[in-house]
Amino acid sequence: MPHSIRKGRSALALAALLTGAVLLTGCTAGGTAVDTSGDQLLTIPREDMGTFSRNFNPFTPNAAPMTQQAIYESMLVYNPADGGTTPWLATEWAASDDGLELTFTMRDGVSWSDGEPMVAGDVAYTFELQKELLGGFDYLDSVEADSDQSVRFILNRPYSPALYEIGQQIIVPQHIWEEIDDPAKDTNGTPVGTGPYTEVTSFQSQSFDLGKNPNYWQPEKQKIAGIRMLAFAGNDGANLAAVNGEVDWAYQFMPDIEKSFVAKDPEHRQFWFPSTGSMINWQLNTTKAPFDDVNVRKALSMAVDREQVTDIAMNGYTSPADCTGLSGAYTTWVDADIAASCDWTNHDVDAANALFDSAGYPLGADGVRTLPDGSPFTLDISVGSASSDWLSAATIIAQNLAEVGITAKVDSPDWPTVSASYEDGSFDTGIVWSNNAPTPYQFFRGVMSSDTVKPVGEKTFENYHRFASPEADALLATFAASSDPAAQTEAVNGLQAQFDADAPVIPLFAGPEWGMFTDTRFTGWPTESDPYATLSTKSPTTVLVLTSLEPVTK
Amino acid sequence: MRFIVRRLAFYLLAFWVSITLNFLLPRFMPGDPVTRMFAQAANKMQPHQIEQLRQLFGLDERPIWQQYLSYVHNIFTGQMGVSISRFPTPVAEVIGSQIGWTLLLGGTALVIAVVIGNLLGILAAWRRGGVLDSVFPPILVFVGSFPYFWLAMAALYLFGVVLGWFPIRHAFDAGMTPELSWTFIASIATHLFLPALTIVLVSIGGWMLGMRNTMIATTAEDYILMAEAKGLTNNRIMFRYAARNAMLPSVTAFGMSFGFIVGGALLTEVVFAYPGVGYQLLAAVQGLDYPLMQGIFLTITAAVLVANFLVDIVYVRLDPRVRVS
Repeated sequence: MPHSIRKGRSALALAALLTGAVLLTGCTAGGTAVDTSGDQLLTIPREDMGTFSRNFNPFTPNAAPMTQQAIYESMLVYNPADGGTTPWLATEWAASDDGLELTFTMRDGVSWSDGEPMVAGDVAYTFELQKELLGGFDYLDSVEADSDQSVRFILNRPYSPALYEIGQQIIVPQHIWEEIDDPAKDTNGTPVGTGPYTEVTSFQSQSFDLGKNPNYWQPEKQKIAGIRMLAFAGNDGANLAAVNGEVDWAYQFMPDIEKSFVAKDPEHRQFWFPSTGSMINWQLNTTKAPFDDVNVRKALSMAVDREQVTDIAMNGYTSPADCTGLSGAYTTWVDADIAASCDWTNHDVDAANALFDSAGYPLGADGVRTLPDGSPFTLDISVGSASSDWLSAATIIAQNLAEVGITAKVDSPDWPTVSASYEDGSFDTGIVWSNNAPTPYQFFRGVMSSDTVKPVGEKTFENYHRFASPEADALLATFAASSDPAAQTEAVNGLQAQFDADAPVIPLFAGPEWGMFTDTRFTGWPTESDPYATLSTKSPTTVLVLTSLEPVTK
Repeated sequence: MRFIVRRLAFYLLAFWVSITLNFLLPRFMPGDPVTRMFAQAANKMQPHQIEQLRQLFGLDERPIWQQYLSYVHNIFTGQMGVSISRFPTPVAEVIGSQIGWTLLLGGTALVIAVVIGNLLGILAAWRRGGVLDSVFPPILVFVGSFPYFWLAMAALYLFGVVLGWFPIRHAFDAGMTPELSWTFIASIATHLFLPALTIVLVSIGGWMLGMRNTMIATTAEDYILMAEAKGLTNNRIMFRYAARNAMLPSVTAFGMSFGFIVGGALLTEVVFAYPGVGYQLLAAVQGLDYPLMQGIFLTITAAVLVANFLVDIVYVRLDPRVRVS
């Protein structure tokens, strides 16, 4: 009877394992002829939507894929892979000396896909709508369109990270959206945008096609005929399509990618996992003893074998973190002196033991380390059971800790239960993501500013470990108040030194940004040697790839 | 008639209990839809977006009894609200766009499994100890006891990937538009084959065994002997006398299974990337999408109850004993 077909998630996890096995045993590459007519559609799987809903409303969190990437555009595009910024709908921008005004000059000759010209008034309207529907941007007093080409943002306090937050906001046409009665609940089935591929030429529940915007402002860059999205209920189906060569570009985790994907066609297939994702940290609840002791945090950190964590838990897809706490997205900000002098992020069991001993956590004769009151040193590591990679990272850490006489228990209920314990501060330790934005400001703010600390019992959504540093507060304020690059660099160097001194969290590794492609049908992909964008299909940089690819024609 | 009225009252009570459970159970789970979305998106969402999404969704913050009253009111007025995981698509539209595929897949597989399974059961019991009776049950039980996803993966790998006989995903080819044409229907049929086959394979054994066992009991009855003594043809005795009486438990099971079809076949949908309600339900539960969860559970509840009610009515027709008691 069909009851046996619903066995829930444990069965799903097993299914995932099996697919991995199927992928490894080697499916033959699809025997279908490769379409090189020049009109082939760029085919991309979406692994977390079993079916699509025709919703192109860019203000909703689950809009159809490519809404924010191919249909609507922003004023600038920031690329974490090379740290560069590309002017997009705006050609230039400037901040006033007091940091309270930000002026963007809009590009000439940009029109919406319905032929109407795009003007600065659309930008002002978009921010008004964004604040009405979603709130946020609380540092913005008002947005004034001074002319069709110029838009001025008036801030209520100097806040330098505003440039990227404002610049990366997608812009919608005023003449369309002001006609909509309830913009929050409109599904915007026939979108009008400035992006390269705006026309919905076909929409079915498991695939849809986007065609060229007839009025695009850089028609010479619309070399591909269109985009086709395919829906998959999970990584497995999407990976199978990638292995079979039926999709051109994919953005999901694949185990042992070298063997299961690249080896099928090494000439054409590549993957590139730049570590520009958010820093993944082992967070210790600093409101609890002994985690309030910086020596304990550093000694625990030295006990962790990060090489083993990245090699085994992360399939070798990323590299160990250092004591600056900065991920691969911030390579231009790293203070080389601090990075070179890191000690507490290197695996060193002897040094860890010595530091524990000197800090008052002696190792008993039975090999069990004790707290100052004589009770055994034990801790829990909470990770959501769905994250198998982080779960194995936690298991490796627990094994590492056994070598210094500490018993760690890995606790893995489902994510909502785990994050509820993070939010109210009742957890012991956990493996947690961190803020990731164009500048390191949000990262450091999220791990050590007193603004983000809430008392235990009160819900918070960042700084779960509840660590505050007044020194860091001052440096963060300096950074936010200044738009001078030299002053910002100095502030970030100071923050790195503070991070190095305080070890507010134990950085493990930077999250890799997945991405793989095959160039049998399209060429011009970003790669490690030409990092003009990441291989993400869900990021602001995606539009850079869409406007660079060229179809293969024979 | 009194029987039907009594059954109807029972179904109304069952309906009320189940819609109340539908309402309460999701609310006992930790977190709320926005924090779930945040935890699932992990590093892809910024903390300040949590407040933004709360504002966008307009989450219901009223006391729970008020929420319950408007929930009941909405059910009876047919308003299922707006899905959160698919915001701002209405729940009715989310379910409506998937349920057709779920019914097609589940219905086809169930009907094939029931018809073939019961026929095999009847024949096996009629020629007890024959080839059919000694070979099929062990094989079908063996196949049926495979973990479903293993069987599905194996079928997908063998017939889809290696041999390339059947498409490996979706309900029809990408780029096609649904229309009444042979090419489109052919595309649907080839895409349906593997998913339906795997469900039939794992479920057919149960139907066959069930039918065979009741059939064996029936063939021992005196009225069968009587029919044989009257000189009726073998086929007539087998189908009109023995099978008709042996079929009753199968009819009940068919009704139950038919009701459960609307819940979707999660693993089939995942393995074959087939559209349907199952994955939607999983996503709704994981994301605490109360409106969508309630909508799907309500559909399942209603379908199960309606199917059972129909079975009850059919029973009155099939089994005179029910009418008397």
